[in-house]
This record gives sequence, structure tokens and C-alpha cells, in this order.
Amino acid sequence: MYHLALKMLLGDRAKYLMLVGGLTFATMLMTQQCGVFFGLLKWTTSHLSNMRAKLWVVDRKVEQANELKALRDTDVNRVRSVAGVAWAVPVYVGVQSAKLADGNFKPVMLVGLDNATLIGQPPLLLRGRLEAIRLPNSVIVDELAVRRLSAGRAKPLDLGDTFELNDREARIVGICRADKHFFGYPYVYSTYTQAVQFAPRQRKMLSLILAEPAPGYSLASAAAAIEAGTGMKAYAEEELFWSTIWWYFRNTGIPVAFISTILLGFIVGMVISGQTFYAFVHENLRHLGALKAMGASNGLLTCMLLVQAFTVGFIGYGMGALLVVGFGRTAVTRGEPPFMFPWQLPAATFALVMSICMLSALMGIRKVWKIEPAIVFRG
Amino acid sequence: MSTTTVAPLAVHVRAVTKTFGQGEAAVPALKGVDFNARQGELLMIVGPSGCGKTTLLSVIAGTLNFDGGEIEVFGSSLHAMKPRHVTEFRKRNVGFIFQQFNLIPTLTCIENVSVPLLINGASRRVAEQKAEAMLDQMGLPGRGHDRPANLSGGQQQRVAIARALVHEPRLIICDEPTSALDKDTGSHIMDLLRDVARHPDRSVIVVTHDNRIFKYADRLTEMEDGRVQRVHDQAGNPDFSE
Repeated sequence: MYHLALKMLLGDRAKYLMLVGGLTFATMLMTQQCGVFFGLLKWTTSHLSNMRAKLWVVDRKVEQANELKALRDTDVNRVRSVAGVAWAVPVYVGVQSAKLADGNFKPVMLVGLDNATLIGQPPLLLRGRLEAIRLPNSVIVDELAVRRLSAGRAKPLDLGDTFELNDREARIVGICRADKHFFGYPYVYSTYTQAVQFAPRQRKMLSLILAEPAPGYSLASAAAAIEAGTGMKAYAEEELFWSTIWWYFRNTGIPVAFISTILLGFIVGMVISGQTFYAFVHENLRHLGALKAMGASNGLLTCMLLVQAFTVGFIGYGMGALLVVGFGRTAVTRGEPPFMFPWQLPAATFALVMSICMLSALMGIRKVWKIEPAIVFRG
Repeated sequence: MSTTTVAPLAVHVRAVTKTFGQGEAAVPALKGVDFNARQGELLMIVGPSGCGKTTLLSVIAGTLNFDGGEIEVFGSSLHAMKPRHVTEFRKRNVGFIFQQFNLIPTLTCIENVSVPLLINGASRRVAEQKAEAMLDQMGLPGRGHDRPANLSGGQQQRVAIARALVHEPRLIICDEPTSALDKDTGSHIMDLLRDVARHPDRSVIVVTHDNRIFKYADRLTEMEDGRVQRVHDQAGNPDFSE
């Protein structure tokens, strides 16, 4: 009987297309918006993915990676002196102003790496040599910086080209790929010493300290030792990641905006498919009544309706997911908008779409269970 | 009293009552109906609109619960069965022919006819083979893959008859089978139903108010106001075997 159930469904072309379209739309809206939301949240932690260290030591009031309070230069040595710390290096992080050839200014995220070790170096160097960053006024820029800072030039910035960074000449010695910052700033890397010279002078210039536990110390015990010994806050990388994510959840309207859209996708999908499926069942009530009169049990009719509902669910989900994958590929290739597609996302959307189908089917099933087979004898 | 041999009973209805609604809105549809249908006969239930014909047909078919009385169909007591057993009984023993044919428009004729077999658990291949053979018997060779909308009203009713017979039920229930058809087509359909009823182990019950087809009945049961008024044969002789 199930093949006949599918033929009944496919035969009503308008409703079939409406159901598949509604579920495709719902899948796309929920998955795409979640993907963008996750991508945006990932961008809030771009410092972590771009610098990569096991321990992040910051001012004790710091709650997230994008809101750093300056430390004293001597704090590096205080951390180094804590038992349980293998090494600790200073990092400068700050937004600076780069002048373009056309006279405009663009903000960039300047990262100053420890001169000796270059710990926190760019995740992927595409061109140039990392060591060249130690040369005077040298910087490594990411691909976004090449695009942004090339405005007004005859050809894009390349190795050896210079631009103005806070009224100082910066020479490009490398081009890297880095995760994009939440505010959309390009990353510009230099050594710590040069970075504090590019940046306007302040009393305290050290942004954070990257460290690693000594052998025999866990992340938690090393972090606890640093906090106890220095009064600063020491985060394990994952701890700072989630602390940053939750900070944005608590302190910005971004999650509410995205969750509203995702909820809207669910409701729209539910309303379209629920109403259409209910109308489909309602219009076929006489035929379903005839099947019931002929001896089809409520169980058989329920299974038929479930087969119909889940079939459109699978097709709608598949089409929606394909469209999102297409969107995601474009986003990843272009670098924007933010997009992240962990396996949990399609799995969760699949579960939501199937629950929409189940709820839609239940409305029809309730109606089918209630009809008396004698309905077929009424004119 | 008739001296001819009386065929065994197919349907035996005693003192059946059915009321729709409750309290002041209650409408008694059957007020203690006594009624028999015999094997190998085509019996018509006739009467004015609202007299309870369709309600009687529905309770005999097991598609509507009744309030009181007893109904036996081929020896099985419907009044003593649980609802799911009534459904099982209907699945195996009852074939339906409806006024508006009730063919599923998105399915082909073969698929429509195969439905009762599939409900009874037959495989798709067997069901479709039997359905095609039944359509051939109904004078519709080569039309199995057509959709109902591509057939005339008479052809659609033939498909409906094929669907009612394909699983070889013993009781055929027909609700106004000719009312949606013109006179000639209606006559052809009634010829077909009379042939169907000639099977000694089968009974055909037709509800109608189309007096043009009364002549096809072996017996006529006249109803009025929820009661059987008269049972008689074509010549108008009362049936004392009741």
C-alpha cells in the first residue's frame, strides 16, 4: 500500500511541490542561519585560532578574547617564574589605522609576536618567509588585508610593497591566511618590539601572555598556579573559547536575532507543511474513508500518512541541505559571510525537519482516526 | 406460503436500532429493523430520502456502529465483534460500490482495483495481475493503466465493480450505483451486478431510489421512517419467508 500512498502524494502535484518547497525553505533557513551564526561566533574567537596556545594569561577582569586590558611588560617574567609554566611569551594585540593609497584609512588588527620565538605566528603562510618579520618595519599581512589595503593602487599589494601604519612605513614580507576577526579587521603580524612602535605609545602595552604548562602539569593546575602566583587570569584555550562565545551570548543581541530567525524557519516550515499536509489529508478524506471501509486499519492508514510525510521531509531536507552546502562553499571561498558547518548542524536540522513532518502527519492522522468509514455513503 | 426452495441467509438483521445525536437533537434513523438477504440474490433496499436506507446499508457493511439489535453476516455476528474484528471481517468479506465510484484519481485503474488485495496482504505483483484480469472480465481490457479521469462514468463504475469483486468477497454493498449514470449505462451496470449476484455463495445488496432499475432486483425491501414496510418480489408478491 505504501507505493500507492506515494503515488497519491505525487499525484497531487501542487501540494507535493508546496510541501517540498516549504520543507526546503525551512531546512535552508534553519541551517543557513545556524551556519552563519556559528561562523560569526567562530569569528569572535579568531585570536585563538590565529595564535594557538595552550594557556592565555590576561588581566583578571578579562572575560573574552576581544576585550583585552593591557598588562605591564614585567608581567611576562612573573608568569615565567611560576612553577608549572614551561614558557611564556608576550603578545601585543590592538586595532591600528592603515592608510590607503587613495588617502582613506582602514582599521587593521595588529599582532605583535615574541621576537625570539614568533609564537602565535600566522596559521598558514602563503608567501614570503616568517623570519623576515624580524627585519625593520616588516609585517606579514593576511589575504583580507591585501584586498582591503590595495584600494587605490594599480595592482594589489604584494611582497616588498609598503603602506602606512600609524604614520610609519610598514613593508610586507609575507602574506598569510588567517581566520577573520569578528569585526572584519584584517590581521597584520609583526614582532612585539615593532608592534609597540607601530602602536601609539601607552603606559602599558602588553596585551596578553601566551604560555604552556611544564611537563607533569595539567592545563588546569598550571592555570591555577599562574592565577595564584600572579593575580592574573589564566585561561586554557578551550576555556577562553567558550568564555568568549558565552560573553557574546550574554552581552549582545546577536544570538536573539539569529535564534529568532531559526525559530521563524521552524515555524514557517511547520505552518506551510502542516497546513498543506492537513489540506492534502482533508481533500483525500473521502478516499481514505473508502480505504477504511474496505478494511484498511487505522494502523495501516497511519503508516501510509507517515510514509508520505517523511518522504517529502527527506526530499525537502535534501534539497535544502544541498542549497546550504552551495551557499557554504561560496561563503568559504569568498571568506564571507561567516559560515561554519559542523556535522551536528545538519544532524540537528534533520531532526527538526523530521519533527515538523511528524507533527504535520499527526494532524492528518488524528483526522483519519476520527473519520467513520460510513462517510463514503454520504452524498 | 411459497413451496420453492429458499436459499440460505447471507444477512440476518433483527430489531436493529440506530439514533444519531443525543437529547433533544436525537434523530432515530433505524427503529427496530428486521431484514434478511439471501445468498445468490440481488436485493434492493428502496424508499424515500431519509427513510434510513443508507444507514441500514452502513450497519450491515460494518462501517457504522448500531445501538441495539443483532446483525449476522454469513454466520458471523457483527453485534458481538470488537471493532478491529469488524474491520478484519469487512476486509475479507465485503466489497463496496459507491454512488460517486470513489476511485482514487491519482492512481491507475489497475492500482485502484488492486487496493482490496493489498489491504488483505497480497503482494504488489499478485495484486496487480489479479486486478488486470478482473478489469478484463469487466470489459475493460487495455484500460488498466488509464487514470479514472480518462474513463467515462460507466467505465469508472465498472472499475469500481472490479475493485469490489477482486478479493472475492461474499457480500457486495452498492450505494446508488446508477444514480451518477445515464439510463443505458445504468442498465449495463445493473446487468453486470445481476450476473455478480448469481454466484450461489454471494449476496448483492443495492440501496437505490432509481425506480428504473427496480426490475433487476430479485426482491425489494421497502423502507419508510426507519422501518421495513414491505418485502416483495418483482411481481409484487409478499415474501412470507421473512
